[in-house]
Amino acid sequence: MMRGSNDRGNGAAMKLAVSLRPGEAPSDVRASAGPDFTLLARFVQKAEAAGLDMVLLADSAPVAGGPSNSQVPFESTTLLAALATVTSKIGLVAAASTVAHLPYNLARRFASLDVISHGRAGWHATMVPDPPEAANFSRQEGFSRDDFRRRAEEFIGIVQGLWRGWDADALLFDQHGGRFFDPEKMHLLDHKGEFFSVRGPLNVARSPQDTPVLVLSGLSGPDMDIGARVADVILLDEPLVAGAKADDLKRHAVAFGRNPGAIKVLMNVAPGAEMAARPDVIADRLEESFRSNCCDGFNILMPPLESVLDDFVDLVLPKLRRRGLVHPDYRNAALRSHLGLAGEEGR
Amino acid sequence: MSGRQMKLGAFLWATGHHIAAWRHPQAHVTAGVDIDHYIQLARTAEAAKFDMIFCEDAAGVREANVNIASQTSRSIGFEPISLLAALAVQTSRIGLVSTASTSYNEPYGLARTFLSLDHLSGGRAGWNLVTSASPIEAANFGSTGLRPHADRYERAREFAAVVTALWRGKLDGVSGPGHDGRSFSVRDPLDLQRSPQGAPVMVQAGASDEGRDLAARTADVVFTAAQTFEEAKAFYDDLKRRLPAYGREPDDIKIMPGVAPVAAETESEAREKYEELQELIPDDVGVALLSSYLSISDLWRYPIDGPLPELPASEGMQSRQALVIEQSRRDNLSIRQLARHFAGARGHWRVVGTPAQIADELEARFEGGAADGFNVMPSYFPGELYTFAALVVPELQRRGLFRKEYEGRTLRHHLGLKRPA
Ligand SMILES: Cc1cc2nc3c(=O)[nH]c(=O)nc-3n(C[C@H](O)[C@H](O)[C@H](O)COP(=O)(O)O)c2cc1C
Repeated sequence: MMRGSNDRGNGAAMKLAVSLRPGEAPSDVRASAGPDFTLLARFVQKAEAAGLDMVLLADSAPVAGGPSNSQVPFESTTLLAALATVTSKIGLVAAASTVAHLPYNLARRFASLDVISHGRAGWHATMVPDPPEAANFSRQEGFSRDDFRRRAEEFIGIVQGLWRGWDADALLFDQHGGRFFDPEKMHLLDHKGEFFSVRGPLNVARSPQDTPVLVLSGLSGPDMDIGARVADVILLDEPLVAGAKADDLKRHAVAFGRNPGAIKVLMNVAPGAEMAARPDVIADRLEESFRSNCCDGFNILMPPLESVLDDFVDLVLPKLRRRGLVHPDYRNAALRSHLGLAGEEGR
Repeated sequence: MSGRQMKLGAFLWATGHHIAAWRHPQAHVTAGVDIDHYIQLARTAEAAKFDMIFCEDAAGVREANVNIASQTSRSIGFEPISLLAALAVQTSRIGLVSTASTSYNEPYGLARTFLSLDHLSGGRAGWNLVTSASPIEAANFGSTGLRPHADRYERAREFAAVVTALWRGKLDGVSGPGHDGRSFSVRDPLDLQRSPQGAPVMVQAGASDEGRDLAARTADVVFTAAQTFEEAKAFYDDLKRRLPAYGREPDDIKIMPGVAPVAAETESEAREKYEELQELIPDDVGVALLSSYLSISDLWRYPIDGPLPELPASEGMQSRQALVIEQSRRDNLSIRQLARHFAGARGHWRVVGTPAQIADELEARFEGGAADGFNVMPSYFPGELYTFAALVVPELQRRGLFRKEYEGRTLRHHLGLKRPA
């Protein structure tokens, strides 16, 4: 066993994320005048007030043949930047596709988001192959499953490498001596791979939380190794097999020289209307999965509607708190610290 | 006053536009990691009724020599689109323009990101199109080096056409259903609503013949560098002359040269302030910067007190290079003098003096038909933005040359641009 019962005995809290799921709101909301940042901001502030670890922002790929009018009507990284200025504790994770971005630009955008948010940013990359957006990014032919995987793996490696290009103490700000940074503490990446060639370094300072948090989802069998090697958080569907997968992942992580605690496995759940009707049932189900070591917590999928978040925060969350499963407060501002990832890297 | 008024951009850049700004006691030395500093600057610019905030961009640490780089503050900072998205919800009226390269992006992603910024800001976003001339950036996107100038502009033309079509919801207009061109293919329209200002504003920097032609075809605003009135006027006239060929009128494009003002209550104070900054420039940093403008790497081999060597035409910034060479010949400057001169204002027009003197200079170029407005490049932040806002803006307002209140809510409205169909 990678994580026995003492993990829970030590009071490791259940990690809780909320995912803003596009395209789920009732039609009257969808028809409203225009994109409304204020509503989204209120939603995220409410999640912060409830002490949730992070909000995941989807980035919808357009559906062939027409505008999809998504419920999160902003591109995810720009939305994250804006939300960062109206919150101060909650983690903010944006989905961004390895097909829609180039690794240098993506690493740079997220490094910047992490500085803007004072260490609360994360990148959510999906391993689901053959992404529909390829056709809008001059890749009509798409990718074979295998090419996509190898490319995504190389892409993620570059991004994480670029995030480590500046040592945490590289900046000197020595006005009098004329030394802005210590040249020894800036590192070129000099990556030359199958799909990309990237010199580096980034022109953004080191992250306040070491590196932005990497969230992976859509992992199939062969991706598990990638996840175990590089991910900070892994999102899994399928509650029945999740337990096996979580254990597997952590065993693999150890094989790669990481601490088992360096990966958090969150299970996707979409409680929907049940939440208001039977909050006890939901709380029981979450508790059961958590106590059986299926996962480190949950990613709750919901439309960006305050009323739905209210149901979770007012009805389900208090029960989880009473049962001692959830920490009542943020102990520190960084997302890595919310997730219990700070200082967990065994490398 | 109902006459024509000048447009003003607040060009924000970390510690300041002067190469040694970060060493100045009144510069905010941690600007590149301090979002609150930028929020403060944005609000200051908005209170002064600037048309827009402007950000430059480079996808890389542009100085190859790490020892030189380490003596300046330019190697780290915010990525501009995320920066402007953060500023969008912390301001309410001022325009937000960021530079982004056609060489290292895809049109669909760029169009979508800027449209999102436009929605976050309620119609205040703009994109400054550049083709990027630095081989160091190129090395972050492949192993084949910088594309030749003509190829970059060919790609840029297609890029701009696709972005414009996507913003207007008329993807079909490009070429059949979707777009399948030489450099790019796009299948779907954007999945975001139409821009509150019709489409984000198109800005362009790049002043070669091809750059001007692309601007005449697609740009709403042109950012340029011009030292003398004559240069500015020649550029202005040339660009406006190109418009009819694309069915456009002179007023459809606002030409905004950069200006690096050093203002103080008295002229001698202004000169002192400027000299104080110049003293802070290390020679090797000045020469390195000059080398990058000239797109050559071995300028340091030549005696620093001697003249510029003869230079071959480069694949990089043709227009900026020509500007530097012309100035060196005209004023008979040594490499050190030239380096200091350009380091201070980064090749842009510098004006040192009292608020009235600076207003005189701006007015002369504006009324003389050499500019529709200016992109203001303060020497150091936040101090010199405050100075410009407190001393020069009121002087321009008093003369009726600049607005006292915003008349509208979108960047297009501020700039007096038509809403695209
Ligand atoms: C005033 C001015 C500002 C510019 N700013 C940038 C910039 O921020 N980032 C960048 O990559 N290129 C910038 N460029 C250069 C563009 O990349 C431009 O495409 C390049 O100069 C080559 O085109 P040209 O020969 O037409 O000027 C700028 C050019 C000018 C004239």
